[in-house]
Amino acid sequence: MADRDQFISKVTEALGRTSIIDPSLDHATAGFDSAETIRTNAQTAISDAREYSTQLADEVALAAETIGWKVHRASNAEDAGSIIAGICEEKSAKSVLRSSHKVLDDIVVDKAVTSTGANIETTAHDGKYGQSEIEESKAKAFSTDVGITGVDYAIAETGTVVLHPRSGLSRLVSLAPPTHIAVLCPGEVLASMDELFAMERNDFINGELSGSMNLISGPSKTADIEGTTVTGIHGPLEVHLVILGEE
Amino acid sequence: MVDQVAPSVGECTVDVLEYLGLEVVFVKDQTCCGQPAFNSGFRSEAFPVAKRFVELFESVEGPIVVPSGSCAAMVRNFYKDLFRGDSDLIQRSSRLSGRLYEFTEFISKFFGTQAINGNLKTTATYHKCCHLLREIGVDEQPVEMLATIEGLELKPLERADVCCGFGGSFSVKMPDISSAILDEKLDFIEATEAAAVVAADIGCVFQMQGGLRRRGSEIQVIHIAEALSRAVGGHAKTRHAR
Amino acid sequence: MKPITANFRTKAAETLEDQQIQQSIEHVYTGFFKGRLNAAADTNNWEELRTKGKAIKDHTIANLDYYLSQLADNVEKNGGNVFFADDAEEARQHIIDIAHKRNIKTVIKSKSMVSEEMGLAEAMNKEGFETIETDLGEYIIQLANETPYHLIAPAVHKSRSDVAKLLDDNFSDSEPIPDATELTMMAREKLRGVFARADMSVTGANFAVAESGSIALVTNEGNGRMSTTVPRVHVAVMGLEKIVPSIQDLSTMLRILIRSATGQRISTYVTMVNGKRTVDEEEGPEEFHLVIMNNGRLKLLEDEHSREALNCIRCGACLNACPVYRKVGGHAYGWVYPGPIGAIVSPVLTGLKDANNLPNASSLCGACHDACPVKINIPRMLLELRYRTAEGSTDPQERTSSAKERGVWKAWRMGMMGRSRFDLGARLVATALRPFTRKGWLKKAPPPISGWTSTRDFPAVASKSLRSRLSNRLRRVK
Repeated sequence: MADRDQFISKVTEALGRTSIIDPSLDHATAGFDSAETIRTNAQTAISDAREYSTQLADEVALAAETIGWKVHRASNAEDAGSIIAGICEEKSAKSVLRSSHKVLDDIVVDKAVTSTGANIETTAHDGKYGQSEIEESKAKAFSTDVGITGVDYAIAETGTVVLHPRSGLSRLVSLAPPTHIAVLCPGEVLASMDELFAMERNDFINGELSGSMNLISGPSKTADIEGTTVTGIHGPLEVHLVILGEE
Repeated sequence: MVDQVAPSVGECTVDVLEYLGLEVVFVKDQTCCGQPAFNSGFRSEAFPVAKRFVELFESVEGPIVVPSGSCAAMVRNFYKDLFRGDSDLIQRSSRLSGRLYEFTEFISKFFGTQAINGNLKTTATYHKCCHLLREIGVDEQPVEMLATIEGLELKPLERADVCCGFGGSFSVKMPDISSAILDEKLDFIEATEAAAVVAADIGCVFQMQGGLRRRGSEIQVIHIAEALSRAVGGHAKTRHAR
Repeated sequence: MKPITANFRTKAAETLEDQQIQQSIEHVYTGFFKGRLNAAADTNNWEELRTKGKAIKDHTIANLDYYLSQLADNVEKNGGNVFFADDAEEARQHIIDIAHKRNIKTVIKSKSMVSEEMGLAEAMNKEGFETIETDLGEYIIQLANETPYHLIAPAVHKSRSDVAKLLDDNFSDSEPIPDATELTMMAREKLRGVFARADMSVTGANFAVAESGSIALVTNEGNGRMSTTVPRVHVAVMGLEKIVPSIQDLSTMLRILIRSATGQRISTYVTMVNGKRTVDEEEGPEEFHLVIMNNGRLKLLEDEHSREALNCIRCGACLNACPVYRKVGGHAYGWVYPGPIGAIVSPVLTGLKDANNLPNASSLCGACHDACPVKINIPRMLLELRYRTAEGSTDPQERTSSAKERGVWKAWRMGMMGRSRFDLGARLVATALRPFTRKGWLKKAPPPISGWTSTRDFPAVASKSLRSRLSNRLRRVK
């Protein structure tokens, strides 16, 4: 095995130096904003998302549609419920898996899905997880027809849904089932990736960076055969974005 | 190359510059900027030739106009690599670069792209030579210059900015690849149904003309200086006229 | 992967004759190249982003020792393991050891060029681990027992009927060829079972963030997400250059990478992981390993004229832009990295002596430099390598130019050093070529011009030079 210190000292040598120099002293790129600037950026990102929520919802709807999300605008909670029920019916879903996002409780998604005759379960962590529980959770996700989540954020620039996996939001709920539905609330849309990564960095500085993050932009796709874009390879074949209106 | 193989391009360059009211001085001892050897990796052979170029042109004042994007790129962008380690030559060549221009660059910069109002009855398409486009940054200006000429019908060329496959020694060292790239270019040229192709670098002109001749095509490839000179009735006897 | 860069000419010649490949490879221009142009036009601060991307990479590479050290610290802080590998062999062995120790049965691989350098999938299969490529293109290539043709479209040279035969052993030419959707669904079915049972994954890392110990993976298919979710062991492999300092840098780098690669504003999935699963998660790997590989990269770093090559983010834009790549194809380059970027890194990483054709296989048109999201001046580096093969290398093995070639350039220089010699030289050439000349052109010429005249007419030397033509005309000839 190459020893770490030896390896890095060879890098130092290749750079024509004898010791490592702290690069923060001569750095001009964005990464070295002060903690204060980073906090301000993150706060601005959140307040902008609220202040311009109507406009950003329109923008994300447009961007999402162009990359393959089926976008639904729901005027109220009941409306959202029936849109979701409609999708489950269309897919003849028998089993549905959902995250514990609060919005799904607000729109009473359980009731809406159950009314179609499908079985719905919330992904959750019971606090004492071992390999067998993990295997069980995986097997369930792979045999589920529809996965439903809220969003942690969305990005208007790209039509992206951002999810941070955690207890109550498994990694697979938005990936393994052939259909994924994401429900978006007003005020959750950021303008661009800059805002998202400013907030991520702020979380990092505060020691609150989540273990992982997924940016999801449309259905799984590939163009590896003759350059023809085909929807649905390893992830969902179909993705729906339900956008709740302001109330 | 212009001097010995396509002297008409040089003459036409003079025609156009005189048309613009300029007095042209020809540095009589000039030979080459050194690019062929440099591009082939023989820097020790290119070095004295390039140094000689700098010395010769330092001795004259005023702007230096070259009818080739490739030669201009050599002096402006690559001399600093060739003269590496010789700070004196790097400085001198950089000063020289400040007043050295490619032909169409020079005209569009100081006279504008509408300055040449001639007449030439033909259909033509324009190929964007790589070094002029990417190393010197001259893109649509020559097209605008050609569009100003009365009687000249310009046909758009698909993938006009893709290389013709010339590449100096590459065209001789790897002729099959060079020709495959050329073939694609010639297909697009023939598809325009233009009578002529205009380009701004003589290497590309010969590559395309050589390929078209081999195909038995009647399409003429002409240097932009030739096109402009003919339009303003310059007295140069062009290659194709002889 | 064993380099076969010395075969450039024969492999290129084969591909030039292969009509099916010539047709398939058009997609890199009509699809990817045009896609990038549209994406750039659609991004109002595109040039600013490129400049910023270059600044981030320049800075990172100039302080690579610091950031590697910081990255390793943070991966370990997050509970991951870091392994520094001097070469492909060491990296491969380390990964195989992990698999043995953890009693692994099935390994899923996400697309990674660094793992191609290691020849990892083949080696792991030999060791008895079921090792399957999960990127559809890579999967096709694995079934065909070939190497990737393109950095982001490994199977771009394959036709639908090729793919049908690979996915279905019983497929015969008399059947109608399935369309791309049908073929993709066949692969989906096959690979879903593999995902469900995989117990180890090997992925690349599009970026590793030094300050947080995170890695970012970009995929459209979702195999990157599967790989970081399902198996209990996740191994990420990276070349030592794939670092960015800060999380915020990802915003710039992802934008330029994705737009340059496929022309999309964003790929379907961007996944950032900071190691293994957190304690409150329902799924995710129990172990995370990061393998950081040198494999010759320090040779690029130590030379200031090649250092810039380490800025590469493997988007493939230079391949799509390159007229030579589009004719000779990916396999001609003889190693993992094809196209212009391959022509500058393969000679340094695998040896210039065998790869001496690569820097010459370019018209120096500069389309690669123009397309590069981090503005790597590839033509300039090709010229450096040509210099080394011609006369510049201190290693005599690398100076592969022939005595004849050296003689030609020496004679050329002598001819260029004085005007009268220049004119005399031109007369000599004209005289020598006169027997071949008809009406100002040559249909057939002796060496060294014979290569040219095999496919094109060659212009004859003019009867009078420019100087003599101008001497009667200009008032001042200095």
